[in-house]
Amino acid sequence: MSSAAAQRPNGLALFILPGALLFALFFFLPIGLMALMSILTGNPVVAPKVAFTTRHYARMIGDPFYLEVIWTTIRIGLVTTLVALAIGYPLAHWMARIKSRAGHALLLMAVLAPMLTGIVVRTFAWMTLLSDRGVINQTLISLGLISQPLKLMYTETGIVVGLVHIYVPFMVLTLTGVIGRIDERLEQAAENLGASPLRAFLEVTLPLSLPGILAGSLLVFALAISAYVTPILLGGFQIMTLPILIYQQISANFNVGFAAALGIVLLMISLLLVVAYNRALGLVSGQHDLQ
Amino acid sequence: MMKALGSLSRRRFLTASASLGIGTIAAPYVARADDPTLRITGWGGKWGEIMKAEIGPAFESEFKCKLQIDSAFPYLPKLQASSRSAPIYDVMHTNSNEQWAAAEMGLIEPKIDPKLVPNLADVYPYAISDKIVGVSIFTSAIGLGMRTDKGYGGISSWKELWDAKYNGVRGGYVIPVNSLGQAFLMMCGTLFGKGQTDLDAAYMALEKLKPIKIVDFTGAMEKMLLSGEVGLCVIHDSGIYRYDGQNQPTDFVSPSEGVLSLEQVLTITPGSKMKELANAYVNYMLRPDVQKRLAETVWYSPANKKVKLDAKYDAKLLTTPEKVSKLIQVDWKWYNERKDEIDQRVNRIFRA
Repeated sequence: MSSAAAQRPNGLALFILPGALLFALFFFLPIGLMALMSILTGNPVVAPKVAFTTRHYARMIGDPFYLEVIWTTIRIGLVTTLVALAIGYPLAHWMARIKSRAGHALLLMAVLAPMLTGIVVRTFAWMTLLSDRGVINQTLISLGLISQPLKLMYTETGIVVGLVHIYVPFMVLTLTGVIGRIDERLEQAAENLGASPLRAFLEVTLPLSLPGILAGSLLVFALAISAYVTPILLGGFQIMTLPILIYQQISANFNVGFAAALGIVLLMISLLLVVAYNRALGLVSGQHDLQ
Repeated sequence: MMKALGSLSRRRFLTASASLGIGTIAAPYVARADDPTLRITGWGGKWGEIMKAEIGPAFESEFKCKLQIDSAFPYLPKLQASSRSAPIYDVMHTNSNEQWAAAEMGLIEPKIDPKLVPNLADVYPYAISDKIVGVSIFTSAIGLGMRTDKGYGGISSWKELWDAKYNGVRGGYVIPVNSLGQAFLMMCGTLFGKGQTDLDAAYMALEKLKPIKIVDFTGAMEKMLLSGEVGLCVIHDSGIYRYDGQNQPTDFVSPSEGVLSLEQVLTITPGSKMKELANAYVNYMLRPDVQKRLAETVWYSPANKKVKLDAKYDAKLLTTPEKVSKLIQVDWKWYNERKDEIDQRVNRIFRA
């Protein structure tokens, strides 16, 4: 019986197989091809003579402009993540602890409602607010508070504002689930033992919600550094990020190899920061399994 | 009710209904499955609308074929990724700079055979000059677009774009990705240096152009000009004239130093299996009646000398040898050879 059972296909394995195949086909294969293209002189499918090269990476390292672009991308990603966390955490905490079901539903709707509109539309909405002739500048000018429009668009701040608006729901939804599962009685016990509400939060709730902070931050960071539409529209092409540079290399310079090398760098940044963030949070929380 | 249908079961009835529905939907496609298909590229907007509604169907009907138009820019990377022997397009329509890049990569045939495209004999010299691969079927004039409600006064020179009074309302393009931006960079070399290829003079001029609002597409610039976000910008004449009759406070300026040529170029891919049809399409697009219809819809200047436009269009578009002689063509081969270097420099210049 045991040998017959061993030969029978595992039901769970069959259930997982389509998903695994899909993942291999649409995630691992494209990344593998991108890595390959980044070290080739051309596309082997259409070009007859193709050789291995490191020139795309050498170009990136040899020119400080590309390193500045990489740093700008990381900076925008980090600031967006921190601001989204600062806005999202209190909201998620409120949503997780609110007693009224109607109140929870209303808050959830408020968080989800912007996601029903496309990113392009929302970014254009920000443009109508932040541009020189936008609502904010026109209002301030008409009130006589300023004489020249404030430079709200075409800056990193403008991009971060747009990205935070788009990605806060991702942070909130991730955090709400985690905070909601924290037993409130732990905080009450801390307060019974003399801790102030703030100290109870800092020493009980916050450490227990670190997995949510980690997951939400990684999600927002990964989305922010790979964002294309918002940095282009709100940055007016004057803030160069890696996704913009990658698009430029493919669409206007037709240099797929260099674009692939930039893509690999973007991927490596994400992976490195995931590892670093995991280690840091593991150390802070004492949850060594995070490492 | 099902009993009234006799032996027809519910399952059979549903199967028959579904088959009938699918058959009805698929019938036109099945009927036309044998028609040869010509795969081309083309713009969206007004151009796309008239191609879809009128020019394309007329071609399909005349040549008993199907026209498959890709208007999802950018085209060249898609052609680049497709097989040389079975390219994704038979005819590529794009601006001249990209056609030169495609020619360098061997993705398109650099010249059109006049024996296979008889209308080539009637085009202005610029349309098949040594600055063009394939054939330019239309051109626009790149000059300055201005708001007429801001009291800017008469503008007659490119150099006025550098006037400090336009700080904050000056508009230009993302040079690495936009043909107008690239052509304008070459014009900067002419205006402030020894000629189009004087890149150092051009870079210095671009530095002095800041602050400037830059966009990737002319459509975006049109909207910024219409909204008043920019007051003076680099733009092509069709981007202004297409709002004719709408009482917009905008006007096109042809600078005294000359206007740059923004060519709409057609080329044929070497691996196309539809060469005969591809040549027929190029010839068709150069036909006077087709040229007139398109020119009067999108405000492009026709390349065919024999086209007679209505007075309103004739007054503004480049329709005579004298007007056409004002066009300045860019040496895109020279530009593309230095594109990486230029892009790196201008990306730095316009960085906030």
